[in-house]
Amino acid sequence: MNRLEKAAAGAVALMLIAAAAIFFYAPTDYLQGPVQRIFYLHVSSAIAAFGCFAVVLAGGIVYLRNESPRADRYARAGALVGVVFTTVTLVMGMLWARKVWGAFWVWDARLTSTLVLLIIYAGYLLVRRLSEAGRQTARIAAVVGIFGFIDVPVVYFSVDWWATHHPGPVITSDALPPQMLATFLFTMLCTLVLAAVMVVIRYRIEMLMDMKQLIASGAPLTVAIPRRDPEPAQ
Amino acid sequence: MNPFRAAIAVARKDLLSEWRTREMVPALAQFVVLALLIGNFGFQIDSRSAPSIAPGILWLALVFAGLIAFGRTFAAEREQSSLEAMLMTPASPVAIFAGKALAASALLILCEVVLLPALSLFFGTPFSAELVIAVLLATIGMASLGCLFAAVVARVRARELLLPLLVLPLWIPFIVAGGQAVQSAMGLPGSYDQAIGLLVDFDILFVVLTSLAARFVLDE
Repeated sequence: MNRLEKAAAGAVALMLIAAAAIFFYAPTDYLQGPVQRIFYLHVSSAIAAFGCFAVVLAGGIVYLRNESPRADRYARAGALVGVVFTTVTLVMGMLWARKVWGAFWVWDARLTSTLVLLIIYAGYLLVRRLSEAGRQTARIAAVVGIFGFIDVPVVYFSVDWWATHHPGPVITSDALPPQMLATFLFTMLCTLVLAAVMVVIRYRIEMLMDMKQLIASGAPLTVAIPRRDPEPAQ
Repeated sequence: MNPFRAAIAVARKDLLSEWRTREMVPALAQFVVLALLIGNFGFQIDSRSAPSIAPGILWLALVFAGLIAFGRTFAAEREQSSLEAMLMTPASPVAIFAGKALAASALLILCEVVLLPALSLFFGTPFSAELVIAVLLATIGMASLGCLFAAVVARVRARELLLPLLVLPLWIPFIVAGGQAVQSAMGLPGSYDQAIGLLVDFDILFVVLTSLAARFVLDE
């Protein structure tokens, strides 16, 4: 097993422990019943998605400053993993909403802004797919990634700025009993580890794809197989 | 070189070329009237339901007219490869971008000159200064974002596909606030002043951000 495989196995193991904590350690909510257990992964994956989009933002800013191919690859990896976690957040939230609100979807500020977030970063991935890989596309994507991040604080503060159905912040407002808080913090930690491992693995895939493109373009490879990052493809 | 004069010169060039060809404005005007027609058939509109339906039709027509207008912003430059020549002049990329955005928003405002009276005419909704102010304020921010992303996709293969995907989500703040302002201007409940305040905030935010980003988009 190489290092990435070990990391992936570790992240999956952590998620299984988190699942055990969610179902066996955390108490059942008095009002909502078992459906409240969705909360732990729902909020954790939202935070993981924000983290991934922060990687896209940082990668974009660094790329615009010095055209570092590594920064661009991190941005690509972050966008993909962030879209996955945003989807998880939305789907779990909809399952919860079906039980608690009686409808999968309401046009609420937080739901709507999260959907917009998903669309923005799905658009980011489309930009990368629809235009030829290279310097130009990386710059365009960096601008899209930086602008797209505006929606992250909107999603976060939407429950304060607008009157929403969505529950407000329960973590920062100290509203959780200690066992629930511990379960949540542990789940969040595991989810963040999982997201980080996924970003790193995706980074590796993006690097291999860059190398493949570099070889296909007929560029001479001075180093036999670069252990470090190859030069940007033009 | 004075960036303001450079921006005005670029805007003047674009508007002059539109004046000579007269392509965009008639096409946009026809487009918005067609959109109103479709709205009329898609909804059952009477004097009672008109104020609740008309704002939606207004924004749909405006947003898609905007996509057409901004999608064409860099068309001439691309066909003649003149953008590179413009970038080689001493004018800063930000000034060139500001000029293109000014010209594009002027075209969109001309299209609103047709859209807003036609909306009142066909749907019998009130035509007021509040309505005009709300739409104009939204146009400023929408134009800066639309023009930035038109420049972003100008040299991409699938640009017609990408522009709506990128711009529409970022226009949503303007549609949220502008929608609320237009609704209250048409007599529906909701705070007009709060919505206008939000529109001004969004305008400032996005005009500043797009001017900062323009350098990276146009610079080659």
